[in-house]
Amino acid sequence: MAAVHLEHIFKRYKGTTQPAVDDVSLSVHDGEFMVLLGPSGCGKSTTLRMIAGLESISAGSLAIDARKVNEVPAKDRDIAMVFQSYALYPHMTVADNLSFGLRRRKVDGQQIAARVKSAADILGLNELLARKPAALSGGQRQRVALGRAIVREPKVFLFDEPLSNLDAALRVNTRNELVRLHQRLDATMIYVTHDQVEAMTMGQRICVMNKGKVAQIGKPLDVYRAPADAFVARFLGNPPMNILKASIVQRDGRRVAALGGTELSLSRWAYSALPQGGYVLLGVRPEELQLHEARDDVGTLRGVVSAIEPLGAETLLMVTLDGGAGDVMARLHRDITGRIGDRVGLSTPNEALYLFDAATEKAIPATGVRAP
Amino acid sequence: MTAPNISRSAPVTPVTPVPTVAQPDSIATTLSRMLRNGGLMAAVVLYTLYSALPFVWIGTMSVRTTSEISANHFAWPETFHWEKFRIAWIDSNFAQYFWNSALIVVSAVAMVTLLGAAAAHCLARYNFRGNRLVYFILFSSIVFPPQIILISLFQVLVEYDLYNSRLGLMIVYVSLQLPLTVYLLEGFFARIPQDLFDAAKMDGYSDFEIFWRIVLPVGMPAIATTIILNFIQLWNEFLFAVVLLSDPSSRTLPIGIRAYMGDYFQDIGMIATGMMIAVIPVVVLYAFFSEKLIQGMTAGAVK
Repeated sequence: MAAVHLEHIFKRYKGTTQPAVDDVSLSVHDGEFMVLLGPSGCGKSTTLRMIAGLESISAGSLAIDARKVNEVPAKDRDIAMVFQSYALYPHMTVADNLSFGLRRRKVDGQQIAARVKSAADILGLNELLARKPAALSGGQRQRVALGRAIVREPKVFLFDEPLSNLDAALRVNTRNELVRLHQRLDATMIYVTHDQVEAMTMGQRICVMNKGKVAQIGKPLDVYRAPADAFVARFLGNPPMNILKASIVQRDGRRVAALGGTELSLSRWAYSALPQGGYVLLGVRPEELQLHEARDDVGTLRGVVSAIEPLGAETLLMVTLDGGAGDVMARLHRDITGRIGDRVGLSTPNEALYLFDAATEKAIPATGVRAP
Repeated sequence: MTAPNISRSAPVTPVTPVPTVAQPDSIATTLSRMLRNGGLMAAVVLYTLYSALPFVWIGTMSVRTTSEISANHFAWPETFHWEKFRIAWIDSNFAQYFWNSALIVVSAVAMVTLLGAAAAHCLARYNFRGNRLVYFILFSSIVFPPQIILISLFQVLVEYDLYNSRLGLMIVYVSLQLPLTVYLLEGFFARIPQDLFDAAKMDGYSDFEIFWRIVLPVGMPAIATTIILNFIQLWNEFLFAVVLLSDPSSRTLPIGIRAYMGDYFQDIGMIATGMMIAVIPVVVLYAFFSEKLIQGMTAGAVK
């Protein structure tokens, strides 16, 4: 077990202007399950491969247990990695796949047998030890890949989207298995995924990445509740947060957000934090919207239903707001009735509103101080 | 016609459920299928005869004497003269020729396989300066007929004291077969997923160990193909052997067979016997490698 520290890490590829990893700093504590989350091409896998030693580091410092390892080759970092493709050696049996790394490290034969047995017990691979990868199902291959990492008893486990090749049901099972495995081994694990559900359910902390940079680091629910910018707000949550452009106007000595013919109170934000006469991005999560008949109340968004998606447990309603203010998605009770073309109103509690700067997309934190 | 005429192109999922009892085909359909299968079978039989009959013919001639053959070219042997094999093996020195061929060809194939696989692995996996240039030069040498280097090669071998030596011919064979071997293996190795290499690196293996323990076993289907190809080609090679070896004690099998051809007389019977001796290793090798090694060893490596 070990702590991993990344300080101002950069990765530049030849012939590209933008760095693939751009000034990433991150500390993974001893025994922590850290998830690197982001869309394709955000640099999360490259970051992981740099930690593994499979990619060189262009600039910055990488330390494992306070020892700088920038120049240490992969084999000497005492790290195990589970690949998205599993990368099992096709010409070897499951047992040989598991012991391949230990044999190289000249581990005593009896100990190899004991560790392989133990990993096989944990993962239920005992029946499969004599088989070759071609004779295994996707889920079994995935478990062998996990086993190969476990037998090594490494300081750090790295996972590069290990569940993305499994079907939905198996993915849920394996997700739970991995969480249990983490609790059992109490090991430092760094897990890369683009799936926000995996991140929310597995990570003790998550690091959301975008365009090679760290967008936000925190506990999953903290990040969900207080996204640092509009990208994080959109990326976490399904359906994603509705983000609408609203103008700030002066009304009775207060500043309010105006959009689509209605005005929303911004009393939770400090007067000085709101740009006078400018625009902000207004965010509201689909589950925070309530359905009304279209009325002229202040604080009610009005529009026309443009799509209805009954999902069984809930119903998603897409509403096109009046005045070209955009579309919003509402996550509603499964029993709501309505048809495309109906005029409806949507309201939300003031506490459920998020504000982001229109130019930088950074969150404008609410202070709770009431404006004069 | 009593059986219902169900066309083979009938819809697979009709609106009404189809009874699960098998429907007998109509006579017309059966006939047309038999004709189709029969046509295919006839083509296969014809092709097999076309390629096998000359071999059988040589086989029969190998146990007949030249005078018997002259009397009737195509007759079945009246008595099987197996002693001809002993005569060829001992009196005509085929034991020596066979040993020479085996030594030169086996070592050349071993060398060309190892060198070719190593080169192909480097070209397929490492992104170094001049990678594609090396590949292009190797590849372009396949295009030229090998005869054009014969005279200069002769000169080079004489200068390095390798003319008329088995080692010299072996080196020539390695250089002749290397480009095609690299070309075939590079294409295969490039398709081995990078993750396998990364996984082995994480497991602590060096670049050379990865080549030895991962690339070679995983690439075995392609390597087996090049082994068969190179072996057959070099085992039957005549031109370079006849030019670069003159000493009877270092002759290879194809040159040994030629010794039965005089200026005025050709010992057809013994030529056939020599050819049978020469062809046996090729048949054995092919029988072994074609089934045992060409298996989908990479299947299931990655998903």
